This record gives sequence, structure tokens and C-alpha cells, in this order.
Amino acid sequence: MPRVSFQSLILTLQNFWAERGCMIETPIDLEVGAGTMHPATFLRVLGPEPWRVGYVQPSRRPADGRYGDNPFRLGKHYQFQVILKPSPLEVQDVYLDSLRALGLDLVRHDIRFEEDNWESPTLGAWGMGWQVLLDGMEITQFTYFQQAGGIDLAPISAEITYGIERLTMFLARQASIFDIEWGAGFGYGPVRKQEEFEFSKYYFETADVDLHWRLLDAYEGEAKRCFEAGLVLPAYEWTLKCSHVFNTLDARGAISVTERVGVIKRVRDLAVRCAQQYLASREALGFPLLRRDSAAPAATHA
Amino acid sequence: MPDYFFEIVAEEIPAWMHDAAIATLQESLQRLCADLGASGAHVLVNSTPRRIAFVLPSLPAREEDRDQEVKGPPKKIAYDASGNPTAALEGFLRKNEAKPADVIDSGDEYIRIRKRIAGRSTDERLGERIPQIVESLRWPKMMRWGNGEYSWIRPVHSVVSLLDEVPVPVEIFGIRSGTKTVGHRTLAPRPIEVRSYNDYVTKLELARVVVDALRRRHVMAERARVLALQVGGTPSLDATIWAQWQYLTEYPGVVRAEFRKEFLALPEEVLVTVMRVHQKQLPIRNESGQLTNSFLAVIDNEADPDGNAAYGNAFVTNARFADAEFFYETDRRKRLEDRLEQLSHLQFQEKLGNYLEKTKRIEKIVATICHELKVEERDVVTAAHLCKADLVTEMVKEFTDLQGKIGGIYAREEGCPEGVWQAIYDHYLPQNIDDELPRTWGGAVVSLADKIDTLVGFFSVGIRPTGSRDPFGLRRAAQGIVQVLLNRDKRQVRIGVDRLIVIAAHAYGGEAERIKPDLLEFIAERVRTLLETSKYNLAYDEIAAAMEAGWATSLTDLVDRIQALKDMRDQANFLSVLDSAKRIANITAGHEAGRVDPKLLEHDVEKRLARHSEELGKQIDELISERQYRHALETFAAMAPELEKFFDEVMVMVDNQAVRQNRMSLLRNIGDAVKRVADVTRIVVDRRDYRA
Repeated sequence: MPRVSFQSLILTLQNFWAERGCMIETPIDLEVGAGTMHPATFLRVLGPEPWRVGYVQPSRRPADGRYGDNPFRLGKHYQFQVILKPSPLEVQDVYLDSLRALGLDLVRHDIRFEEDNWESPTLGAWGMGWQVLLDGMEITQFTYFQQAGGIDLAPISAEITYGIERLTMFLARQASIFDIEWGAGFGYGPVRKQEEFEFSKYYFETADVDLHWRLLDAYEGEAKRCFEAGLVLPAYEWTLKCSHVFNTLDARGAISVTERVGVIKRVRDLAVRCAQQYLASREALGFPLLRRDSAAPAATHA
Repeated sequence: MPDYFFEIVAEEIPAWMHDAAIATLQESLQRLCADLGASGAHVLVNSTPRRIAFVLPSLPAREEDRDQEVKGPPKKIAYDASGNPTAALEGFLRKNEAKPADVIDSGDEYIRIRKRIAGRSTDERLGERIPQIVESLRWPKMMRWGNGEYSWIRPVHSVVSLLDEVPVPVEIFGIRSGTKTVGHRTLAPRPIEVRSYNDYVTKLELARVVVDALRRRHVMAERARVLALQVGGTPSLDATIWAQWQYLTEYPGVVRAEFRKEFLALPEEVLVTVMRVHQKQLPIRNESGQLTNSFLAVIDNEADPDGNAAYGNAFVTNARFADAEFFYETDRRKRLEDRLEQLSHLQFQEKLGNYLEKTKRIEKIVATICHELKVEERDVVTAAHLCKADLVTEMVKEFTDLQGKIGGIYAREEGCPEGVWQAIYDHYLPQNIDDELPRTWGGAVVSLADKIDTLVGFFSVGIRPTGSRDPFGLRRAAQGIVQVLLNRDKRQVRIGVDRLIVIAAHAYGGEAERIKPDLLEFIAERVRTLLETSKYNLAYDEIAAAMEAGWATSLTDLVDRIQALKDMRDQANFLSVLDSAKRIANITAGHEAGRVDPKLLEHDVEKRLARHSEELGKQIDELISERQYRHALETFAAMAPELEKFFDEVMVMVDNQAVRQNRMSLLRNIGDAVKRVADVTRIVVDRRDYRA
């Protein structure tokens, strides 16, 4: 196995999926908890338009922060996200090929697909699928999206989410995330540890609770204004901001159980409205991506 | 007689769904065989994570031909005056390809013919029925894929359908059947041509797939035993894990790994839960039963030559334990007592307040029970006081299924007496019918208090299970109460369900008592269900008869009365008990019991019966107070001849109202005496059983 770095893994996955007919996107430039929240997933899985995309997404989960002390946990980790819509029948085999591309000889490892369904109450979304276990360790979430924003989906998208730090750590046989190499000789630890520490301290101890409650109200209000103005994509960004403020308040221990239910509902209501309004806006445009095949050269492998 | 072989390859089906799905499938296939003329055939169904295969053996090649009567036009328009067929009859015959000679004498006003219907071939019928059966298989959760037009447990990839090597074309979710299956996903991912089930099993074995789930399990069990032995231990016997493992691999294997020894300092319950529930791994114990740092994990391969799976499993388990250790150390910086305040931020139910309030109610209930049963209350009330504190520990937030146990462990480490920590530890028990009861009397009381508080609370805000939906586990709570109260060893809690409800309602402020009738009926249903299960194995009618005489003051007493009925039922004189009771019930229906006026008694038989009934009443009362229910029923049975004589010689329904009323009261008093044991009229008997 060649030397594996965080960066070599990203490059391999990007090339692999690009060769299989995926458009390579860039991360959304906002704080999100998962690659699923990128509009390239949450919005594109809606409606009849086909879609194939791959991208890296930094994912912030304030409550998972451990001040950079825990060798397995991060407050911000990176996902490599793939969406294939409609889900092709051979999707699992293609996925296994991506592991081979990473240098894994699958005959010498244990690969299993164990049931793991996914549900996001804040997005009104759920799907069914597996966690993929490599030698007993979860390296990928594999989900057939069934609903998003409360809307039944058809066609169905397959979502493949690689946890890239974990995968690198495992392939490089390192005992701590902070020991892996990012690339070009730079270590993940030296590059990121300060950030993990400071943001843990910020989210758990420092964040201004009152300010965040006010931000939640303000962001929510702005999202609603955007809906009124018929601007669903800006509305969606404000919704994402609400979601991150909620996560921050949650990590700060500022939300009681009763409040929690209420805030989740507020965010979900926005997400549901985004989904509905996005679908309507695409329909008004005549679902432009339905014409993708004639506009672009065919995929090499798909 | 040809065999039919079918295989469907799908994406990985969740392990826990296999057994139920196979049972359902087996049932539909058994019915199909009967329809095809092969009733009693043994249908073989097997499955792996990715495939379901079955064989319908020895099917007839075709359905038998049969005759069918077809109704035609009325006779009066079928023939003309000279007896020749009319156009109406000819048209009917033509349509059915029949001749005038085929008309049979039907005996009614219509023309009928007998028509020979050719039996259809089995492959044709299979082609029709198999897709229906497979596509309509219900799974606990269904999903769609691709364009979203089909719904099943997972996407379907290929189908093989053969009747004695000859393809029977079927189409399932748009996939046409063929003769090819596929080998193991990574070890032998190639198409394989198959001719029959035996051929299939052999070829798949070479392609690293063991089709038979039981064989996979045996292979893994043996491997597990050997691997554990190598480190001087034995794998935990754990049916849940084995049931999952057999459906997590196509090519069964087990690997042993070691976690870091220092984690053995963590509570054993935490280690075991992480391994079993979160990692689906089997702990290994040494000769003296202690946990070792070795464990077993399932792999989908016969061996792990490079040690990759051992490395990976150790890696994940160490990571999990590192988290657990962090939680454990954080938690122990704060005593349980000091966590109670935090419980006020944890909602129990929107309208029922938070867990601190629940805790206070549980304490009250426990204190009242102890007081009423005259038991020293200190430890039990302390346990109640602390029983929910672990809900705000990091450990329980992460490993919810350890609630109670974690509280117990922390209480033990804080130096609480055994009576306290064990009651906390056990108070969620029993969770299901086979579960253990709390190991102490105090634990049983805290368990009862917690559960009755939940039931009274939810019922009083109008939440109760509907159909199969019971999101708050109210049925389980009710059943837990019944299980605890049925127990008779040193942990027995001598209290009735009705009293429990009143005490719990009082803890809510008393107003909740209005839900008592509903809640009693809800718990009565659990009593009936539980007593009928194989664990207690009591008959439905005996339970109903005895419950009619009361159950809510003591469940053990109820069981005693059911037992008396059960014993008595096999005796010859039981029929006389039953007949007498039924006759009394019929004749006195709607009549209120009253005093018997001796002056109104006319016949000798009647006077004698009145005298005896008084004695009988006293005797039965005494026997009941001594819980001699069998004797009470026998005493009643002894009255039978006299009753019979009474019915023969004395007319009850006379015109004189006073006399009539008096006779009814006499009978009613006798009937009511036995009703204190059971309403025997509810017993269903087959009289043939009683013939000598």
C-alpha cells in the first residue's frame, strides 16, 4: 500500500468519482453539520432532475469537540460526499471499486454492510441503508434517500459519505487522528489541533448565549423574508445558519429539553419550506437538469 | 415429481429481519404447495445477508383436469314447441364449445352443461404466483430505489427460477429471472450458472457462500470456542449475538482481538454493553467467569491471515472504551445526590413535568407502600430518591440502555448500602416476559412505583397505546407490574393493583384517581395475556372465571383461585358445580340478592336447602379466608344433589311475588357464595371429557 495521506485520499476519491460521471463540487462556504446539508445534496435530491456529484465537506459538530485531546473525535471533521441520482443498481460495486482505488485489497479485509438508517429531524429527511464496516470499523454511511424536507423522493438518490480522517487513520495505521499526514509533509495535528482546541473552548465555554438566541431569531426572520421575496436559495442559507446556531446553543448546554423540541421544529419548518419552494422553482424553470445528457459528454464509466 | 428452486439476490438485508421474513415466506409457500397439489410438502427456505433461496419439493407436473358445471339460459326458452334447441341454447353451446348431448339434467329451471377444464401446468401457475408472493413479502421497514417505483427491503439484483432445471420465467421488480446467481461480494464476485438447488449449494460453497444459516452459525460457534480456548477462556453464551451473526456473513468466520488491559478497570456492564450492543462483539470470560481483555468479532471470511480484522476491531473497541472512560471519570466527579437538581431540566412528559418531580412522586409511593406493609423504609426510599439521577450522567446519555445499572454502579462506588444500590440498579426490571425480576424486595418496590407512576400519569393526560403503537412502553410497564406482583418468593410485594393506582394517583395530587377504571382494564388485559403465555400456561376461561371474582386486590390470590379451578376441573363432580351455578345464574338473572324470609318457605326441600345454604355460606367464607379455594368449590359441589332436588320439586317462578322473590334470593345467596372464588359459568367444558 502506498503512503496514505488525508490529501491523497481526497484526490483519489475525487478522481475516482469524476471518472464515473460525477461532477466535482466544492464545499459550501457556510458552517454545516454534514455534507448532506450542502445544497448539492439536500436540494438536488428533490424532484425529477438527475444528479451525480462528489465533494469534500468540512462538517462542524460543536458537541463532538474534545479540545483536540481525544484521538478519535473532532468538532470539525471532513466528509467526502457522493450523490448518485437515480441510484444505479451497481452502486455498491462501484463503491467497493473506490475502496480498491484507495489501495485496499478487499480479499484480505473484512467488508460488511450493516443496517444503519439515517434520519435528520431538522431537515425532515430520512433514508435507509448501511454503515460500511471495514475490519469492524465504520468508514462510510451509505443511504438511499427516501424523504427530504418532508417530500417523498422519486427518483431515489444514493448518498455515499466517507469519513475521511478515520479512513486515512486506518489505512495509515495511525492510532490518533492527529498523527495522520495531511499532505506534502504537513501533519493533520499541527495543522488542526489549535483550531480544535479553540473551537471546543468557544462552543462549550465562551459562545455568547444571548447573542446566539438573538441570531437564531434574526436568521429565521431573514429566511422568511427571502421566502416572501421568492428567493429560495438565500432562504436555504439562512436556514443552514439557524441550524448551526442551534448546534452551538446545544453544545453550550443552553437549550433545555423542552426548548430543544421547539427549536428543532423551527428549523425543520424552514427546511420543509425550502424543499417545497425549491421544487416549485425548479418546475417553473422546466427542470433544467433533465437536459444534462444532451449538453454534456457521456460519463466514461457510468 | 419436479422440484422448484428459487433464489433472489438483493442488497444486504438487516440481520434482525431474517427470521420473521423467512417464517412468513415459508407460510405463504406452504399454502402455494397445497394449491399446487403438494400439501404437506416440506418447503425449504434459507437466507444469507444478500439472498433468499427456497425449494418447493415434489410438485405435480400439472393440475388435474376437472369438470365444471356451467349455467345456461332458462329451460323454457332453450327448446321450441317441438323440443328442438332454440337459437338461445345453440348460442350458449357454441360459446362453451359443447354439444346438445352435453346438457345435463339439473333439476332446476336452467340449462346446465358439464364442461371439462384442462388443468394448468405447474410452471405456468408458479410463473403467476411466485412474483406475487415475493413482491408482497412485508418487511418491518420498506424502501424504494432507482426511479422509485418499487418498494421492498433493499434493491433486488437477480432472480433464479427453475423447475427441475427448466427455467420458469418470472419478473420481480423489473428483474427477469435467469439461471445465473453470483458468488461472495468480495471473495468470489463472479456470475455462477446453476441447475438445481443441490448444484447451487455446491457451487456457492466454492464461491465462498454458505447458504444454510444454521451451518454458518455452527461454524462460527466452533471457531469462537477454539479462539477463546487459545486464551484460556470461553465466549459468552449470547443467543442475541448468534442470531445476528448468522445473518451478517455469507462466508462465516470469527476473529479474536484484544483491547487495552487498562479498560478492564471500567464497570463490567459498560464493557459488555459496548461490545455486545454497539459493536456486536462477544466478550470472552476466563475460567473463574471474569471478563478478559479478549473478545470475538464476526467476519465475512473464513480467516484473517494478515490480522487486519483483529487490528480494526481492537481499534474501534479501544476508541469506544476511551470515550466510556472519559464519561466514567467525568461522571464520578459529581455525586448522584448532587445531580438531582439537574433532573429538573430533564422533561419526563410535557404535561407531567420533569424527572425531579417524578422522583419525588416515586419516593412518596415507595414510602406509602413501605408504611402500609410495615417494612423499614429507609433504604428503599433512598433508592427511590436516587433512582433517576443517572439519567443526567454522560454515561447514560451515551449508552441509554445502561440506565439504572449505571446509577446502581455509581451508588455502590459512593458507598451506598447494598439495599440501596441494588434497588437502583434493578428498578427498570423486568423489561420483558423472560427478564429477571429485581433481586431485592426494595428493588421490586421501586420498580413498581416507577411503573405505576408512569401509567397513572400518562393515562391521566390521555395518552395510552393504540393498536400496535406504544411509544412510551406503557404495555411493558403494566406487564412489568404484573410480573412483579405475581412473584411469591422473599421479594413478594403484598399489594394489589387497585391500591397501587390509588397511591400513585395520590402522589399526583389525587385528581388522577378518575382514570382508575380505565387503567384497571388496561392492566387486566396484561394479566390475562401474561397468564395465558407458556410461562404460566393457564387456560383462558379459567382466568376469566377467576378474574370475575376479583383480581385487583391480589394477583397471587387470583392465581390460587385459577389453580383451584384447574385442579377441580379434572374432577367428576366439576360438572355438578358448573350445572348448579349455571342453573342458578339463569333463573336469578337480574335479581338482586336479598335476605331469605324463613316464614315464606313452604316445601321441606326448600327449608332444608335454606338451612344448608346458610351453613354453606359460612363454610365457604371460612375456606376463602383460609385461601382453601379447592375446598370451597368442593363444598359447593356437595350441595348439588340438594339443589337438583329443589329444582325438581319446587317451582321458583310462582305467581305469588313474595314467595318467588324469596326463592330467588335463596338461590342467589348460594350462587354468590361460589362467585367469590370464580364465576364458574364462564368455564367452557366438553362434556364428553367427563364420561366415565
